[in-house]
Amino acid sequence: MPEMTLPSHDRWFVASQKASIAYGNKFLVDDPASREPYSGAWNVEKAQYPLKKVSYLPTPTVSQEIPDVLFSGYRKIEDPFTQTNLVEGDEEQLQEIIFKLKTSPSLVCQEVADRLLTLFRDAKEDDPTYIGIVLGSLRNFYNFFQLHTELKCPSISLTPDNNIYISWRAKKNRLFSIHFLPKADVRFVIFKPNDRHPEKQIRLSGTATTDILKEMVDLHGVWNWIINEG
Amino acid sequence: MKGDKIPDQDHIARYCRPTHTSDGQIQATAFMLRSGEESLSVNCLELLNCSGRESEVAQLRTIYATKLRSVGARAKIAILNVGEVRNHVLTESLDRRNLEVLHDPQSEDPSHSGIYNLREDDELIAELILTTVRETYNARA
Repeated sequence: MPEMTLPSHDRWFVASQKASIAYGNKFLVDDPASREPYSGAWNVEKAQYPLKKVSYLPTPTVSQEIPDVLFSGYRKIEDPFTQTNLVEGDEEQLQEIIFKLKTSPSLVCQEVADRLLTLFRDAKEDDPTYIGIVLGSLRNFYNFFQLHTELKCPSISLTPDNNIYISWRAKKNRLFSIHFLPKADVRFVIFKPNDRHPEKQIRLSGTATTDILKEMVDLHGVWNWIINEG
Repeated sequence: MKGDKIPDQDHIARYCRPTHTSDGQIQATAFMLRSGEESLSVNCLELLNCSGRESEVAQLRTIYATKLRSVGARAKIAILNVGEVRNHVLTESLDRRNLEVLHDPQSEDPSHSGIYNLREDDELIAELILTTVRETYNARA
């Protein structure tokens, strides 16, 4: 009977299991342990692993149905790593974050949650196959709002790439907008009056991490007009 | 003809998705590029050859209904003047950006044009363009 060689240990299966975390309610951490192959690296050299010999039947009369258990355990992955599943998993996380805002005691957070829900539905109506709101951007926005609970409710919209973009407009042509990028970064725009030259406007834009944004923009007096008084 | 400059005195309309509005107000996101896009899609109103604004808006609604998968109930049409947009961005942007509006006809949309010289990270420019919006209409009749 002919023989074929296969890895003796299901390390690839272990790695695949790690990748399946993406469907759950945890963050996808793409950080494989050093002794395991990267989950996306299927062409790992065989020499890295001890090999053992496995027998198989060479006849075409063998059932062509896929057996329940394959040699090295690939079949154990019930749920293939598909875009559909990723979108579904991300959508659950999106809804979880919006739910957290909705059940917050803060009225502003509840208002924000309603707005996000509307945006999510509108985005899905536009393209039902897409996630709606980029999860990383929403997380970034959520962290910002958790950090600064005193903020007024902003205007919220989505960029063409479905990131969250918020704006506050105030008297005398004041504007402060934040684009929440999928990681912990933001890009911001400030328009404010030039006190010495009332006919002119000062315009600034920049990039920062979400955690230091307040310190950066507060230099320009922005915080005074985007927080709730009292 | 493709590539022709749209004159400064002409007007352009931008379809603003519901996700680019907030409480019925068009937001700067309506004037941002999607990753990989070269230009911002607009329609030149003068190339529609209609008799007035009402018929131009009706014609735009027909175009959107034909081209788009769905026209959202909260979607809007923003009308801008080409010269005003170009001058405002040129004089007020940090890098004195010279936007160009070029005719880019499509088979089912002959008045289709594009605003060129935008970049994906142009939040400030998008905010400047927003301030030049002259009229807004519902994208659905």
